[in-house]
Amino acid sequence: MNQNKNFVRSIRSAGIHVGIVGGVLCTLLFSTMAGADDNFAAVYTNSVGPIMDFNADCWNEANPIKVAMYPQVITTPTKPNAAIAALTVKAAHNDQWLALLIEWDDTTRSDRLVVDQFGDQVAVEFPIDANSKALPSPMMGNPGGRVNILQWRAAFQRDIDQGKPQIQDLYPNAVFDVYPDQVLRATDSNPYSGALGVDNSISRAHESPVLDQIAEGWGTLTTKPDQHADGKGIWENGRWRVIITTPLATESVNSLRLTGTQSTHVAFAVWDGGNQEVGSRKAWSMWVPLALE
Amino acid sequence: MPQVYNWQIGRTMEYPYEGKRPDKQFAMILDINKCIACQTCTIACKTTWTSGRGQEYMLWNNVETKPYGYYPLGWDVNILNKLGVQEVGGDVYKGKTLFESAPTGERILGYLPEDMDYAHPNIGEDDSVGDMAQGAFIQMPHMQWMHYLPRICNHCTYPACLGSCSRQSIYKRPEDGIVLLDQTRCRGYRECVRGCPYKKTFFNSMTRASEKCIGCYPAVENNRQTQCTITCIGKVRMQGFLAAPGQIREDNPLDYLVHIAKVAKPLYPQFGLEPNTYYIPPIHVPPAYLVQMFGSGVAAAIATYRQAKGDQKLLGALLLFGATPEILYSFQVRGNWAMGYNEKGGEVVRVPLREPIFVRSGYDEKLQTYRSNTT
Repeated sequence: MNQNKNFVRSIRSAGIHVGIVGGVLCTLLFSTMAGADDNFAAVYTNSVGPIMDFNADCWNEANPIKVAMYPQVITTPTKPNAAIAALTVKAAHNDQWLALLIEWDDTTRSDRLVVDQFGDQVAVEFPIDANSKALPSPMMGNPGGRVNILQWRAAFQRDIDQGKPQIQDLYPNAVFDVYPDQVLRATDSNPYSGALGVDNSISRAHESPVLDQIAEGWGTLTTKPDQHADGKGIWENGRWRVIITTPLATESVNSLRLTGTQSTHVAFAVWDGGNQEVGSRKAWSMWVPLALE
Repeated sequence: MPQVYNWQIGRTMEYPYEGKRPDKQFAMILDINKCIACQTCTIACKTTWTSGRGQEYMLWNNVETKPYGYYPLGWDVNILNKLGVQEVGGDVYKGKTLFESAPTGERILGYLPEDMDYAHPNIGEDDSVGDMAQGAFIQMPHMQWMHYLPRICNHCTYPACLGSCSRQSIYKRPEDGIVLLDQTRCRGYRECVRGCPYKKTFFNSMTRASEKCIGCYPAVENNRQTQCTITCIGKVRMQGFLAAPGQIREDNPLDYLVHIAKVAKPLYPQFGLEPNTYYIPPIHVPPAYLVQMFGSGVAAAIATYRQAKGDQKLLGALLLFGATPEILYSFQVRGNWAMGYNEKGGEVVRVPLREPIFVRSGYDEKLQTYRSNTT
């Protein structure tokens, strides 16, 4: 029950007034793996490099599990009516890269961000120290229990698939005369370009629709300066299929570090943009043990 | 949750963080009686700060008409409706603030505007209340009324945006109380857009983070008043610093107008954020309407303002509006003159209380012609 002890410790240390809804928290504390399959394994595949192919053979061999997703109601702001109740997940690895293929039903594809529209997202979370006896909190880690969070965003997928957005992509009839970054050098125009001018990592996808991040508790999510994760998302017939792939080990102290035959734990978070889910308004899962075959 | 003292509602209240007042608080006073909605302030702000990608729709400063105008649509009536009827009156607010009214699972009572709510910033402009019958003529009090409401971010003492952010991406500067949204830390969750009742944080669809009025801090740091203040052709505004409630100085024009003369009133103090933009109420609007917006002191404020001609100090303070681009830390009225001083006490500007009058004859001897009186 070590992961649950740290879980409770993380709530106290966060110092946030906790609104516990009904018996939800009790249920979570006393069920070890609610809704998760005990035999989740990443099947070995003989390939090189990141595993990005939806049609690869490994996905036929991998055993899918169903991960129960809980509406986030522990810390404010909450989302008691989070839309997605479960994810179907498969895992594969090739001794160098680990990949997770995550699928869920979503009738609306949400990747256009304006003030009242949010994007679909999914994230996988690993404890950075797989050998530690005490698991960090599955809710984004806790002080002393860092996690590596790889987050795929539909808006980033759109950037990759369709190119850098212009205002007319959002508002076809928009008219403008000139932007500061069109007439000034970068150093002079950056102060007038908001988050883009300071290279905020959430403003644009760079080479990958997956953001490689760490966290040690609520409100601490930080993008790593070195990006290693990759992935791709496809929406078809009301269903998202997303691959998130990451090296088993990198030189960064803030990445997971696994050998080819180790085991670790993985947790998930998912956002239905069409249901106004963003940030802490999401569905999340408990830790699921993951073995590498 | 911590308890903080809000002088505008005369009591302590709940706020997510410990209250610590800044050394001096960025504040602005706007004389609604002088505003003509020329929108020069709006354009000044837009050309200075919001001409970038995704900022096209943003009006960090806007001027709307009351009662039928809003930007974004219905911002005040929506949140007032959500808050419900509350008792506004007396020195102590007996109703609930927005944080005290937070629904379960939320940090604050708020709502997220729709995209289209920003599409018509001039809705209701110049729409007045009341019918004009055939043959009507101007009467006192005005049978029809409307007034303009120029607005910026209020740089609240207890900001809703700051309290709403689940990542602490918004901070309040200890040196001057200006509230800023960290562009490296924001991830575009828009909790601040939900939380701010004045709707003065804006989501940027192109950068995918949110933005807000920055209080022209590069100017203010150099003792220059904000762009919206110094470009105002009607000399409607004065921007300076307010002292903490226990440390007000009679010779600080803002402290004087807000705390001593009490002609300048905060905007919707019942939200409980202690906003730092103050308004001199429009004298031709029925006080019964203004109470909801500015609190129960409006009638007294209007009465004082009407007597300004006979109150040298009040008149001098008001005449220093728009007199200089420099921030005035203190002022003095002596004889026919009002003087404004900078932080070091040096005289920055001197304004006559009564302009000298020259009477000229109808016939100009030098040019051999009659002077005409057309303008």
